[in-house]
Amino acid sequence: MNFDFALILSSIPQLLEGLSLTFQLWILSGILGLILAIMLMLMRISGRWYLAAPAMVYIYIFRGTPILVQLFIIYYGLPQVEFIRESIAWEILREPFGCGILALTLNTGAYVSEILRGGVQGVPKGLGEAAAALGLSKVQRFIYITTPLAVRLSLPAYSNDVISLMKSTALVSTITLLDMMGIARVIVSETYAPYEIFISLMIIYLLITWVTQKIFALLERRMSRHIIQ
Amino acid sequence: MDTLTGWWDDFFWGSVVVLQVFFVALVLMILFGLLGSAAKLSSSKILQSIANGYTIVFRGTPEILVLLLFYFGSAITLTAIAQYFDPSIKFIDIPPFWAGSMAIGLIVGSYATETFRGAFLGVDPGQIEAARALGISHFKTFLYIRIPAMWRLALPSFGNHMLSLIKDTALISVIGLQETMFVAEQATGTTGEPFVMYLMVGVIYLSFSTVITLAVMGFEKYGSRHLEVSR
Repeated sequence: MNFDFALILSSIPQLLEGLSLTFQLWILSGILGLILAIMLMLMRISGRWYLAAPAMVYIYIFRGTPILVQLFIIYYGLPQVEFIRESIAWEILREPFGCGILALTLNTGAYVSEILRGGVQGVPKGLGEAAAALGLSKVQRFIYITTPLAVRLSLPAYSNDVISLMKSTALVSTITLLDMMGIARVIVSETYAPYEIFISLMIIYLLITWVTQKIFALLERRMSRHIIQ
Repeated sequence: MDTLTGWWDDFFWGSVVVLQVFFVALVLMILFGLLGSAAKLSSSKILQSIANGYTIVFRGTPEILVLLLFYFGSAITLTAIAQYFDPSIKFIDIPPFWAGSMAIGLIVGSYATETFRGAFLGVDPGQIEAARALGISHFKTFLYIRIPAMWRLALPSFGNHMLSLIKDTALISVIGLQETMFVAEQATGTTGEPFVMYLMVGVIYLSFSTVITLAVMGFEKYGSRHLEVSR
């Protein structure tokens, strides 16, 4: 058994063909998941039980089950349900790509909403009280006082979740999608060279993680530039 | 519910496999976490960079990739070694149970490394100095002073790691371990009811994570019982 460098060189361009699918899944479900997370977080802190309770149940279910199970319920399970096949949602759920986006969005939304809630609750109460004393309305206080501070507080945890979402995109290879992981699995089944292919792929994923961390570190530094260190 | 008739015992044994993997991986995760954090906190530059490499690689790559690399990599290596001695052997692999437990133990262990490191740093250095002044050996200081003081600090994150661990066990079905996901796949093949079967797997995992969450809450209460007296 020896390490086949020629195979690595020839397989890297093949692996990178899946990069765009990985990025599409990552960015699309990242944005949709963030929107979902903001809605869930607002429901959770609304103080009204009929909004907070459904959000809590949702978060509990989606954080308590493996994303692979969620993906399989959506991809294999939902088409079995009659009214889904007849609804408009079928347009999305017919394709494995739509199922992948849906599963990743629903999953990351649950995790990110908890991160955002932590950020909102980390904003000192006195600031809101001061703004209220100055006559800002509840909505104004939330937009101009709480949000900018909460964003900064939740950014470190959020960056971790963005990376974990990127890693989760690799799971779509189990529902026949050919992202980088899917392509790697095909090459390995043809060449039977797991070390060469999987280690090359590891390096690609590590580079993406590293660049993401750098971008978020810059963002964090910019957002806390007024803090004297 | 009718569709599940006849599959209950399969799901039960699948759940037993999930728990077995969980406990083996939990032991490995604690082991790798302690070794990793000890290496990161040591004064040796070599140990530090090995531990840094470990956490960077295992926290930066998808779990499924590590798992597949472990399983197929070990299989090809073992087969090559075996063929060197006996050319008639076609294929040997590590059983998916051990390859899978090892892989997720290593992955979650890399997260635990950071948690344990933080918790060890959170222990008041005065306590360790006091122990040294009393002539307690390094090993005993570690066992009787550092560990009892740090586990309470590490517990909240450690609980999250245990949740990741139980959820990652679902991945091992990809390399053919006969746990609940595998049972659901087989049951789907026979009954044609994937929705019910995978929902059942979801319910099983949800109950496992609920038990873990409650257990961690109990331990947290136990760990901070000496802090409640003053209240």
